[in-house]
Amino acid sequence: MFKLQQGNLNAFMATLSSGRTVYALSQVDLQYHLVRAEAWDGDQHLLGSYRPVEPLKGLFFPPRETVGRLREDSPLPEMRERIVIGVKNCDLSALKIHDYVFLECEPRDPFYAQAREKTVIISCDCTDARESCFCPAVDEQPYARAGFDINLSPIGDGFIVEPGSEKGEALLDRAGDMLSPVSQDDLSKRDANRYAVTRRVAEQAEGRGLTTGADLQAAVRASEDADMWDVFARDCVECGACNFVCCTCHCFLLADGSSPAGGDSRVKKWDSCLYHNFARVAGGANPRKHRADRLFNRFDKKFVFFPEVLGRYACDGCGRCAEACTGKIDIRDVLKKALDGQ
Amino acid sequence: MDNNPYIPVPAKLVDVVEETHNIKTFVVEPVRPIVFEAGQFVEMTVPGYGEAPFTPSSSPAVSDRMEITVMRVGQVTERLHALGPGAELGIRGPLGAPYPLDTFCGREILIVGGGVGLAPLRALLFGLLEHVDRYHRIVLRYGARTPSDIIYRDAVSSGWGQNGKLDVRVCVDEGDADWKGNTGVVTTILEPECLSCDPANGVAVVCGPPIMMKFATLKLLDLGYAPADIYLSMEKNMSCGVGKCGHCRLGRYYACKDGPVFTYDAIESINKIWD
Ligand SMILES: Cc1cc2nc3c(=O)[nH]c(=O)nc-3n(C[C@H](O)[C@H](O)[C@H](O)COP(=O)(O)OP(=O)(O)OC[C@H]3O[C@@H](n4cnc5c(N)ncnc54)[C@H](O)[C@@H]3O)c2cc1C
Ligand code: SF4
Ligand code: SF4
Ligand code: FES
Repeated sequence: MFKLQQGNLNAFMATLSSGRTVYALSQVDLQYHLVRAEAWDGDQHLLGSYRPVEPLKGLFFPPRETVGRLREDSPLPEMRERIVIGVKNCDLSALKIHDYVFLECEPRDPFYAQAREKTVIISCDCTDARESCFCPAVDEQPYARAGFDINLSPIGDGFIVEPGSEKGEALLDRAGDMLSPVSQDDLSKRDANRYAVTRRVAEQAEGRGLTTGADLQAAVRASEDADMWDVFARDCVECGACNFVCCTCHCFLLADGSSPAGGDSRVKKWDSCLYHNFARVAGGANPRKHRADRLFNRFDKKFVFFPEVLGRYACDGCGRCAEACTGKIDIRDVLKKALDGQ
Repeated sequence: MDNNPYIPVPAKLVDVVEETHNIKTFVVEPVRPIVFEAGQFVEMTVPGYGEAPFTPSSSPAVSDRMEITVMRVGQVTERLHALGPGAELGIRGPLGAPYPLDTFCGREILIVGGGVGLAPLRALLFGLLEHVDRYHRIVLRYGARTPSDIIYRDAVSSGWGQNGKLDVRVCVDEGDADWKGNTGVVTTILEPECLSCDPANGVAVVCGPPIMMKFATLKLLDLGYAPADIYLSMEKNMSCGVGKCGHCRLGRYYACKDGPVFTYDAIESINKIWD
């Protein structure tokens, strides 16, 4: 672990990102956006105090990606080295879901694999939270414990810089002259910030009925036949926004069409389990005919299926779906209802 | 790219066999052999129109040529039915898990098919008949809507029953003037008197439309088959076929990876499995 002075931040980022496409946060009003740039720009880019609007998953699992041509061999498109700066823990933890789906479960997805290999991840502790954040309720916390190449913890006059991978260590070697040893005082400041933000988010989640450590798996499982799903589903307009903004949702559709360059190509594009046809089979049979079935399915997948197959929820408490929902269905209200025994 | 799980192996359509007014068998030759086991399926691409899951209906012992029997029901199958020999297709697979044939050894195997559901079962039958001595007895019960909806007509009406290795009975929902066989839903030929099966030493394999699967399963349970001995082909919406896209989820399983065949005990507690 090292210390980086605030005044060296721009030089540090320039060193880390040289030769790479940069993805960084920029602020518009009270929101951060994940933007693409040729280089780190200290006037426009910042580390951000909470997660951006766009989920990180899009860098590895794009909304729409051509996966090949049908009649000819299509090589894996060459990807430039990339660096993403300012990643928050919810987005980082969500990669455990995508790594499981696209890398660990055979066969591995070569597109996702390449994007993961070519991307350096610089995460950063949250120093503030959005009203919709509730990560402690889903066994997460507003700072990263693992999965980053380098993590930055803001501590007033600078940052604690922690490598989390060999790639991260090698990059820090290049910036060695900007780094100094960490003092006990620096560590205390980091821990104080982590504690304060965690506490604040936990309290705000508890204010919505989501107690840290509550068994959401049992609650959602027990709610399957309850009429709460009909009630919430009345407001759903099947827009799919909840799935698309979600940092963990991984469902997609392979769709064929003709590419502008000629020839038949296949794309892999984000899909939504709230869409009526998501599970429909030929002949019209549909195991999730009703919107209530589909809304329940979304929660069942996140809070029952993933704990069963991977031992973790497929929700990191980012609150994006609560903000994005056209029908104003708030995931916190849904979970609270399930926890209350409907 | 050799390891792209989303792109099919090109295949040529070499022959088309008309089975019924809305079912055809397509004989395809992939440019590379595709080795599958009974129970596994493939995704077939009709370039420009899309891809759909089908189960080969030909013998698993043949890998350079594959037969796929398809009912015309929608976009992709409509287009497929309009194609003739020479057309270019694509095959992705094999996908899913095969029937555990080694655990069938020494047992009596009851195969229950409905409609086009006999197609996947034909690959199983070919696999079983190849080593017929390994199994105690093989029984086929097949139901179709009308006599003209019966697929693999020659094999069903005479071929398979001939060598005495296979006990075949067919019924139709509605007979016609020439029909001399049983009439009624498929469960009528699952009555003990026309089955004489021994559920304690047997397994039952079922494939057909959901409603038929449901009533056949209830009947088999009634006859005394253990839920773990009833093998069901679950037709779910599929896109990737490799456990990633999320479409085919059935409780804690993905039908494309853990299935498409499940024993009834694995799925009976899941809500709405027959829908
Ligand atoms: C494992 C397995 C094995 C099978 N084996 C056989 C077989 O051997 N023989 C056989 O005849 N059939 C078989 N089937 C069924 C076969 O896959 C379907 O009949 C086929 O998918 C129909 O495709 P279609 O495009 O013609 O029908 P459509 O009804 O046009 O489309 C079918 C699929 O596309 C989806 N879809 C339709 N419209 C939309 C839309 N607007 N947006 C998004 N999605 C849409 C549906 O949900 C459905 O999954 C099998 C199915 C499975 C799962
Ligand atoms: S379900 Fe909602 S709160 Fe949970 S990770 Fe997805 S978008 Fe964030
Ligand atoms: S964002 Fe809201 S309205 Fe849109 S699909 Fe999701 S639950 Fe339904
Ligand atoms: S078809 Fe994609 S997960 Fe099964």
